[in-house]
Amino acid sequence: MVNVRTMKPIPPLLANIEEREVLRKIKKQKLYLLALLLPFILFIIGFEIGPLVAMLKDSFYADDGIQVTIQQYLTIFKSKFYLQAIQNSLVISLFSAVTSVIIAVIAAYSFTKFSQKIQNRLLMIANMTSNFEGIPLSFSYIILLGNNGLFTLLFSKLGLDIFAGFNLYSWTGLILVYIYFQIPLAIMLIYPSYQGIKKQWKEASSLLNGTALSFWIHIGIPVLLPSIAGTFSILFANAMGAYATAYALVGSNYNLLSLQIASLVSSDVSLRPQLGSAMGVLLAATMIGAMWFNERMMRRIRRDLR
Amino acid sequence: MSYVTIDQVTKGYNHQVVLENISLTLKKGEFATLLGQSGCGKSTLLRSIAGLEDVNEGSIFIDGKDITHLSPRNREVGMVFQSYALFPNMTVFENIAYGLKMKKAKDIKSRVTRMIELVDLIGKEQSYPHQLSGGQQQRVALSRALVMEPKVLLLDEPLSALDAKIRKNLQKELKRIQKELDITTIFVTHDQEEAMTMSDRIFVMNKGKIVQSGSPTEIYTSPVNTFVAKFIGNYNVLSIDVFRKLVQSTEIDGNEVAIRPEVLQLVAAGENHLDLQANWDIKGTIKDVSMTGNVLRYEVETEESAFLVDDLHHQGKMLEQGAQVHILVPKKECIMLAN
Repeated sequence: MVNVRTMKPIPPLLANIEEREVLRKIKKQKLYLLALLLPFILFIIGFEIGPLVAMLKDSFYADDGIQVTIQQYLTIFKSKFYLQAIQNSLVISLFSAVTSVIIAVIAAYSFTKFSQKIQNRLLMIANMTSNFEGIPLSFSYIILLGNNGLFTLLFSKLGLDIFAGFNLYSWTGLILVYIYFQIPLAIMLIYPSYQGIKKQWKEASSLLNGTALSFWIHIGIPVLLPSIAGTFSILFANAMGAYATAYALVGSNYNLLSLQIASLVSSDVSLRPQLGSAMGVLLAATMIGAMWFNERMMRRIRRDLR
Repeated sequence: MSYVTIDQVTKGYNHQVVLENISLTLKKGEFATLLGQSGCGKSTLLRSIAGLEDVNEGSIFIDGKDITHLSPRNREVGMVFQSYALFPNMTVFENIAYGLKMKKAKDIKSRVTRMIELVDLIGKEQSYPHQLSGGQQQRVALSRALVMEPKVLLLDEPLSALDAKIRKNLQKELKRIQKELDITTIFVTHDQEEAMTMSDRIFVMNKGKIVQSGSPTEIYTSPVNTFVAKFIGNYNVLSIDVFRKLVQSTEIDGNEVAIRPEVLQLVAAGENHLDLQANWDIKGTIKDVSMTGNVLRYEVETEESAFLVDDLHHQGKMLEQGAQVHILVPKKECIMLAN
């Protein structure tokens, strides 16, 4: 067997020396670039990866914070109450994401039919309203549609019974508010992909016996699909993690995953941060699962993107 | 009997006339070219035939049927776009099969396969458009239109995005396929050389009108006005007064004289065997010589005007810049233009 350590290095050729010089320069440049990235890397480690690792680690400890165990996960999966929270969160997220995507696909398309000037205005409104969420949004809904809300009172005084069966502080109310803050975001995300649909594809389709409907079924929607799927992932995650809006509207009356986590890590009564961490991990896992599923589906349908 | 008839078609956008009283007829199986500079209305005319643009006045007939107000899908025309317009989410096979599928046609597979053989794309059936070269994409676009067996094939500058060599090959192939299927074809281009090599008939367009139509030879050798003369072949166009002075003759009529650069002959000053019976003799000085490969192009300055003279590039026969020369102008090659 040849001993690697005793082998002498091959003397470098003259051309190799120049090559090495160039390589060294490139390496030096790369180092500078990396140095410039350092603040960003530190930020990511400190505020993204760090907490994530801490959460993951905490989730495997018992309530005393000393013993390593999977008890927290077992607690969640054995408790009907917590399972219901997960289910409620999944249902409301799926429902609001699907509804918002459908509305946004149609709305963004109708945007493209206006003149550029009006399109810009509409986008500005969408941009503004997409930032309107959390407690201010819930409060607005309470003022307008709550039990003593402006519209509720106005319509009942007018003798119109529209809101008689409507309760803002219920599942329907929550869904309504979720959809409200998801739609503008969905529009903002889907709108640019309409620019990628070429007019000549429509013309070619119409010359090949296609109708407007067949164009959208066979070409338009499949081309938009990656952006629709991506938007869906973001909306789903957005709804899964939404806390302030739900908290302001229903408090602890409604059993949602994000509300449960909050009560476990910052409640006045009993703090169980390890259990909260385990639920946080499950929340993160569902989001990653949703994205993975999305990706798989898209690859199946849009084979050209592989 | 004419197969395609365009009868006094007029179209305008916001008070601007794009097509003005266009009339033309084509025979079945003819390869016709609409030739003109960009903005002359040639693409608009093609898109009007396809039904992608409405016309304000006039009618369009194909095979005796008035199609002026039919939707594109009912016109039985096929079109190839400059940008190919292939569907990016479909394979070559699916792209070609799309029209047949929409039509709910039978034996889609065999018809598509035959097309793929015709345009020489065997083995590429399962590729996506972005995996193909420009030339291959253009073949897919062509077969996608042809598989529908349209009555008329419309080609909107289909080769202008390709590089010179592929373009030459595709020109030949397009012509072969067109002959093989005997399909009436209307081709739009701004490249006069392409128009010349491919067409049975050329319609030269300018500012929304057809200014001249005829076979490539007719168009090239007998332009009817200054625009055609200058656009089609680098003609030397001189006003009649200037030309009369140069040749010292009053026996010529018309408004302007057009002379092709390749019919002119340069003879170095001092040589005496000039045929002054058949030619006019104009004295001049060579101002510039340029070489385009097989052709030497001289710019010769005379007392009144400058001439372009083309000569085939023979070894050692190049005249020097600054040389005094006679330009021999064959009398029968001078074309008198009325306008």
